[in-house]
Amino acid sequence: MSARRESGGAASPDAPAVPLGGSGRRRAAIGTAWIAFAAALIVFPVVFSNPTVTTIGVFTLVYMTSATAWNGFAGFSGYVPLGHAVFFGVGGYTLALVALHLKMAGGYAMFALVPLGGVAAAVIAVPFGLIALRTRRHTFVVITIAVFFIVQLLAFNLGFTQGSSGVQIPTPLWTAATFNDRFYYAALIVLALAVLVVWGIRRSRFGLQLLAIRDDEDRARGLGVKVQRVKLVGFVLSGVTVGMAGGIYAFFVGQVYPQFAFDPLFDVTVALMAFFGGLGTISGPLLGALLLEPIQQYLTLQYSVGSLYLIIYGALFLVVILAMPRGVIPTAGEYLQMRRARRVERADGRSPAATPSVEVAPLGRASR
Amino acid sequence: MGSSIVQAIIDGVLTGGVYALMAAGLTLIFGVMDIINVAQGIFVILGAYLSYSLSVHAGIDPFLGLLITIPALFVVGIGVEWGFMRRLKEGDRTAMSILVTYAVSIVIEGVLNISFTVNYVQIHAWYVNRSVHLLGFYLPYIYVFGFVMAAVLLIALYALLYRTRFGASVRASLQDRTAARLVGIDVRRVSTISFGIGVAVTAAGGMVFGATNAFNASTSYDLISRLLAIVILGGLGSMGGALVAAVFMLVLEDVVAVAWSPIWATAVFFAALVVVLSIRPAGLFGRQVARAQ
Amino acid sequence: MHGGISRRKLTAAGLGSLITAGALAGGLVASSAGAADHAVPKAASPITIGVSLSLSGDFSADGQAFQRGYQLWAKDVNRAGGLLGRPVKLDIVSDASSPTQVVTNYQKLISVNHVNLLFGPFSTLLTVPASKIAYRFGYALVEGAGGAPAVFANGLHNVFDVSLPVVDNLVQFAKWIASMPASQRPKTAAYPTSNDPFTEPQIAPAERILQNAGVKTVYSKVFPAEVTDYTPIADAVAASHAQVVVLGSVDVPTVSSFIQAFAQQHFNPKAFIATGGPDQGAAFVKAVGASNTNGVMVPNGWYPGYANASSRKMVSEYVKQYGGTASGINSDVAEAYSVGQVVAQAVTATKSLDNAKLIAYMHGNHTFSSVQGPVKFDKLGENGAAAAFAFQWQNGKFVQVLPAQDSNSVKIQYPKANWGS
Repeated sequence: MSARRESGGAASPDAPAVPLGGSGRRRAAIGTAWIAFAAALIVFPVVFSNPTVTTIGVFTLVYMTSATAWNGFAGFSGYVPLGHAVFFGVGGYTLALVALHLKMAGGYAMFALVPLGGVAAAVIAVPFGLIALRTRRHTFVVITIAVFFIVQLLAFNLGFTQGSSGVQIPTPLWTAATFNDRFYYAALIVLALAVLVVWGIRRSRFGLQLLAIRDDEDRARGLGVKVQRVKLVGFVLSGVTVGMAGGIYAFFVGQVYPQFAFDPLFDVTVALMAFFGGLGTISGPLLGALLLEPIQQYLTLQYSVGSLYLIIYGALFLVVILAMPRGVIPTAGEYLQMRRARRVERADGRSPAATPSVEVAPLGRASR
Repeated sequence: MGSSIVQAIIDGVLTGGVYALMAAGLTLIFGVMDIINVAQGIFVILGAYLSYSLSVHAGIDPFLGLLITIPALFVVGIGVEWGFMRRLKEGDRTAMSILVTYAVSIVIEGVLNISFTVNYVQIHAWYVNRSVHLLGFYLPYIYVFGFVMAAVLLIALYALLYRTRFGASVRASLQDRTAARLVGIDVRRVSTISFGIGVAVTAAGGMVFGATNAFNASTSYDLISRLLAIVILGGLGSMGGALVAAVFMLVLEDVVAVAWSPIWATAVFFAALVVVLSIRPAGLFGRQVARAQ
Repeated sequence: MHGGISRRKLTAAGLGSLITAGALAGGLVASSAGAADHAVPKAASPITIGVSLSLSGDFSADGQAFQRGYQLWAKDVNRAGGLLGRPVKLDIVSDASSPTQVVTNYQKLISVNHVNLLFGPFSTLLTVPASKIAYRFGYALVEGAGGAPAVFANGLHNVFDVSLPVVDNLVQFAKWIASMPASQRPKTAAYPTSNDPFTEPQIAPAERILQNAGVKTVYSKVFPAEVTDYTPIADAVAASHAQVVVLGSVDVPTVSSFIQAFAQQHFNPKAFIATGGPDQGAAFVKAVGASNTNGVMVPNGWYPGYANASSRKMVSEYVKQYGGTASGINSDVAEAYSVGQVVAQAVTATKSLDNAKLIAYMHGNHTFSSVQGPVKFDKLGENGAAAAFAFQWQNGKFVQVLPAQDSNSVKIQYPKANWGS
């Protein structure tokens, strides 16, 4: 488990002590790759300026953010929440309702409401987490689903949310050709924030505590980890980020209403993306969303007649899950590692037994 | 008002029986295999469509048709288990099963949309719109028949689990897969058959659902969250729990809908679920010892 | 430290997939480049019309009916020589009932496929995002199924609904009840209503009219749009013994569940009207069973027997193409067909495909004709000229019954026949 070694060996006593992140040269190479990735995202709308492409770009960034934030809690703690649509919807509704009551016209100022969506999500996340995190495993999954439905029904039934018609959001009068770009870069900023938060968690003592909870919660508690507090903080951080993504999504689409602000499919989709790329990794959910959102939109567009796209999408998914059960990134990592191990083995004639075998751990423990 | 509430309780008990039937398979699969089968909703609809086809094209009575549709779904279940579920690794089976069964369900949804179009259909038979008058209340035949059938099937399932050798292996696997394997139980075979049975019983639930609701493939989305809620409330792997939870849920919802307001009925149910699970995380009839993570 | 290397490579892989995504997007653009060719219109090059419809998902039943309506219209126009001497070509994509996909789809239709004109999607919830995009690109969005107030709340001047405004839907029915002699007039009414932007706005005005006429409200509750068990609600309505039931429904399953429960409870109201579902033709009959349709009413702007030359023609063509009977035609088909007719008349009148001119023309107080009757847009884009009707299933036939003084109306069945007769 190279990943564990990377994490400083804290969680795996048998791993040799290696400084975080490897040698300087390697660290620089990783840094370069991330910078290249970021640069590619930044120039993307300049290179592909067609509004259709940038629209898909905005949605993809929103999903990359959500999958990253979801994974920041689920991937590290081992808890699988299926109620993050609550935060997504609350972020959207906050933006819509504040804009409505302040009679905002729909310019750049609207983006200032996005962090407010995050704050509102936090306000919901605390009681939500306090209740749900008292349970584990399946029960936790179902409680998050139940809370999700309660919140969706509240959006339907409470007076101030304006019922089934939802709330209209003022649309800016920006020119059509570059309209999406503003949303794209706003979404990119929130994504950068999400990645930084998850990266920070991953590198911190807090992150190690989350991992300890994932490996064995009772043991972690025995070792002095304040498990309830750690889980709650992780849950709320994740909720805040998804809330901001929801704010941008709602502003971009131009309306919120209960079924789609609080969409059960959102949860399934985000979880799928994180699992697809590799749970508990930083690049995995990014990759998962980057591939799945455009593919799904593309399939819906191209093969919509007769629901063929459902069959293609489902089948594609089954193949990938069964071929790469731990997600694309960890599986690819193992593959590369094995090849390297073989090369090393050939070079110094060592017996294969000396190379640690790749352990398959629950919930994709590789934590790059 | 008083008699309306009694009527609502009757409705809740009768429809609860049907939901119990749909949930029984889910809880069995859940318990034996640690699998969250989100495809259960679409299996219900598949069962409903099969009954519908037999009734429309071959004139076979929906209840009689179960002799065909139950085995058919058993085969489907075996196929899905053999094709996908058994390929999941032991450790992350639960989480991955959500993804795999979701993928399976959208494939089936696509196939159903193509085969049956998206127009809503409903299963018809002479007893579907009729009711028997009893003590001042009308009891719809379809629900009465459905409830009786649910009871029979649940008893049969119970007998299978507690009175047969196969049942003993299933229960052993329910408690501890590794230990079961050590005492020589073919856990894989038990899993496959349990999955098959779990899917097969939905054929019966699906038939009654299809006779009491107009449906198309998308209807499955409304079903699955309720079914999940029922099995968790009842306690994983507990048939009796599923029955009690289903009846409790439907009665609560129906009474709230009548006495207060339909728009709050579902919210009240989910709130009750959250409260119960906060106090008893393993559900009403689940074993309270938390299994190792 | 294998992790470092593989991590870098994987980030590179991420980059690769970004490029793949870009290429995919690029491919999206390129694959439709053919459609972009007609930026310089040739004499016979087709006029392309972009539509996003819900061919799967929640709205799929309506979405597919709409598709037939649009296609039928296109076929008719082309048979008659096209528009401005050019054939029309529909470019229909699916949104799977998702607003996210609607946003992408209309942008693609406009900026990749470069369609000349746009038709609307199905239902209010998807029409709103579609209208905003159309507005941004200066397109007119003519639609037939986004009639709820939410569509017109945004103050966009480019959206036009050819159908009856939702709020007026039940007025005809309510007035008929109110106009009955006191001795015959029902005394009580129940209003179970689905939580939906299509149903709620039309129930309130109807209830007001009935209350003013002395019809007491004995049940008035909203139920969630996605409830799966309607039995207790229907039973509570039955227990209220209301003489009139006004059901705020959007789809067939809701109506069929209520009818089933009413039949089981032997509850036979004197009048039963449902806002959506009974207008779905054969799909409705199939779900509720033919014997239960007798006497069921629905408010709408159109029905297959409508005495309008173009409607008759459309109906006979529909039956020729898709089979079935006239009564089996979903009213969505007519709503879609009307969209095409209105756009065609505007294009012909302005001799132009310039959307700005079309928008100006449609706002110019002109009256258009459609299979649903006259269309005249007010300043919001609602059809102020739309006639409201009520229709009824009578012995397996779907007939017009209101307005009663209309020569095409047949005698209304009142009180309604018992269920199963």
